[in-house]
Amino acid sequence: MSPEVHWMSQLSNEIREAARGLLRDGKAQVIIGFEKGSLSLRGRPCFIRNEKDVERLVWNGFCETNVARYLPKRKGKMAIVAKGCDSRALVELIKENQVTRDQLFIIGVPCEGMIDRHRVEAEMGHDAIIEAEEREESLILRTRDSEKILDRKEYLYENCKACTHPIPVIYDVLIGKPNLQSAQKDFSDVETFGDLSPEERWAYLVQEAGKCIRCYACRNACPMCYCPECFVDISKPQWVGKSTELSDTIVFHLLRAFHLAGRCVACGACEQACPMGVDIRKLNRKLEKDVADLFNHEAGCSLDEVAPLATYRVDDPDSFMVEP
Amino acid sequence: MIETGQWEPKIVAFLCNWCSYAGADLAGTSRIQYPASIRVIRVPCSGRIDPLFILASLQKGADGVLVSGCHPGECHYLTGNYSARRKFALLKNLLEHMGLDEGRVQFSWVSASEGLRFAKVVEEVTARVRALGPANKLMKNVPGGSLDVSAQQ
Amino acid sequence: MSLDNAKILEKDQLEGFLEGLLKDNIVFGPTSKGDLLLFDRVESANGISLGRGNTMNSAKDVLFPQTERLFAYRHGEAGVEIDGPSAVKKGFILFGVRPCDARGLILLDKVFGEPLQDPYYGEKRARTVIISMACETPDPKCFCLAIGGGPCSAEGSDLLFLDLGDQYLVKAGSPKGMDLLKNTVFKKANKEVLARADVVEKEAEESMNQAGMGRVGIGETIEKRLEALFNDPIWDDITESCLGCGICTYLCPTCHCFDILDEAGQSAGERIRIWDSCQFPLFTHQASGVNPRPSVKERFRQRIMHKLCYLPQNGNLPGCVGCGRCVTECPVNLDIREVIQKISAREAE
Repeated sequence: MSPEVHWMSQLSNEIREAARGLLRDGKAQVIIGFEKGSLSLRGRPCFIRNEKDVERLVWNGFCETNVARYLPKRKGKMAIVAKGCDSRALVELIKENQVTRDQLFIIGVPCEGMIDRHRVEAEMGHDAIIEAEEREESLILRTRDSEKILDRKEYLYENCKACTHPIPVIYDVLIGKPNLQSAQKDFSDVETFGDLSPEERWAYLVQEAGKCIRCYACRNACPMCYCPECFVDISKPQWVGKSTELSDTIVFHLLRAFHLAGRCVACGACEQACPMGVDIRKLNRKLEKDVADLFNHEAGCSLDEVAPLATYRVDDPDSFMVEP
Repeated sequence: MIETGQWEPKIVAFLCNWCSYAGADLAGTSRIQYPASIRVIRVPCSGRIDPLFILASLQKGADGVLVSGCHPGECHYLTGNYSARRKFALLKNLLEHMGLDEGRVQFSWVSASEGLRFAKVVEEVTARVRALGPANKLMKNVPGGSLDVSAQQ
Repeated sequence: MSLDNAKILEKDQLEGFLEGLLKDNIVFGPTSKGDLLLFDRVESANGISLGRGNTMNSAKDVLFPQTERLFAYRHGEAGVEIDGPSAVKKGFILFGVRPCDARGLILLDKVFGEPLQDPYYGEKRARTVIISMACETPDPKCFCLAIGGGPCSAEGSDLLFLDLGDQYLVKAGSPKGMDLLKNTVFKKANKEVLARADVVEKEAEESMNQAGMGRVGIGETIEKRLEALFNDPIWDDITESCLGCGICTYLCPTCHCFDILDEAGQSAGERIRIWDSCQFPLFTHQASGVNPRPSVKERFRQRIMHKLCYLPQNGNLPGCVGCGRCVTECPVNLDIREVIQKISAREAE
């Protein structure tokens, strides 16, 4: 532990203070936040209901997964620790009537990105990592007989590196650095991919779909996937096959991305959850670009903006249609 | 039924009941000739189209998919086709971005009085799909689609 | 371990040994793919990545594939034609399997073996040789030792390789393994080598204790506690963060639930077997509409009960082999070891 108070442990303390106050004043029955995981490189969601458990709450670069995912149809008053992307999910969930604004006390935390644990494990040659210490700019990894220092920024999730909303867009209290730099909105990755030939692009999709084991962790980790019956589970008729047959897997990912068009808040929880390293957000990125270009919309930024597929304009583009 | 032994495109055409289906019917009663490539499925409104219909058609071996509805402003249900237009734009872009051949999935507006227009749309779509050849990218392999090791020897 | 069932393989002989296996068999082993280690088919000796942790997927994938065609049918001119599984082919070598995954296959052998004798599993299993690689440096996620296995255990393996630095000690774990040891590439061991191997094994086991794990109290105690605490509210707390995905079951070396589906076209189709997961909501969804396991709580609890109570009780079988995959890959880091500790510590109300 470094001698000066690491700004992340400072944030952990502020979160705990806020939580204590909320529980004491009865403003929240549960605090949904993050705690230390059971292994190095892991953090995980936690549900705090008593003051004696408040010490469990932490803030660090392992607070991956989007805790807004626990909100749909949840009853009662709750506080939620939200990073930028989580807060955007809250906006969308409120708009979709999955939770009400006055149920929530939002502890907003400007986020400096989450660490890609699979990439770190690969960097360490899959050797057993005994200890991982996170510092402001670096990540120190210790195996049984070696130590390696990595540049923290370099080992963030690619999605986090491209984050355009690190600061929560909605909150009741904002702790930490309110002036965090965000990446510029940039869809050049979509354009670059689009420059490949159709065969190359399809080959990429086939390659990624081939890794998928249909565990549905992506879907279940996503805050916006809360349908009581998912389209893959419908059996009358069986629209999508349940095996790992490639066309079925491709249809699953295409359609899930499509169902998220204009709703996906780019939190990356899907990719964080995926054990097989599938490039899930490749599809979402294209839809984000189109939703911005065609309908001038960005998900999760305003409680007043209607989701693009829930509305229309009389002059919406239709030059793509057949005009004989 | 065409029995030339030569491949002819199979195109699934989702036509909205009030406009496009009626337009197709008018083409028929007017004896307007157009390629016998389409297999028509009548839906109440173009807004009813779920992308699953399009994807399932491709999986089951359709070489192309056409979805046709009322002109904007003329939807029998007032706004169904407006919602559809947004969905179609995003879906077409997404499929083509991921490498599906451009021109396999097409959308059109055809009204109930536009028999000739309907024929022209089918001609254009059929020509496009014929040029692309048989579809195989999203086709589900039945049987033999599994990736199990025992099929490797 | 004795001089009767253990031999030496010099490290520079390994490549030749693997190339020999590849000539007449299909070989599977740990392979490096992007950021992941995957257990997959290898085409050459240097395609294998040895001595680096454990693979994301387990060896069960080979014998019990996630998607497997049972048969295909076709409405032909002469009636319905059926293609069953194809005839006997090359042998399978599962190389570099970790002791935990090898132990997991013992359960699968029982489930798919007598008395039902699943032909799809059995046919592959009969021509499979399991060559394991011991874990000299177990990972903090590993808890095989606490759950009846061990980092250098040959249980479930035909051969076990133990890395001694300049050479491997190769131990037979079965009659098939004893036969394989007759290959002239293996040299005689001596007492000094066996002693060194003993030290490596002891140090490996010690390191698991030092990681703070210790014995998690698996065994009869946990089975009885689980039974007593079935309706305890502790499960609400334990399962609150569970996402209900299938990662734990799919990556698990012992999980074996499956579904059988017909995928039919107009005149041809196939019957396939695919993995299923008790964590999915439809798993116990009945035709009446009733679901006796309606939420993640009941489903997660079921997994723990099945692995740590029912399987050991009903057949003295390892329901969990301590590989730790569910611990590291669970998106919310739900840790089965902590579940065991909480259950063990809980006073029944």
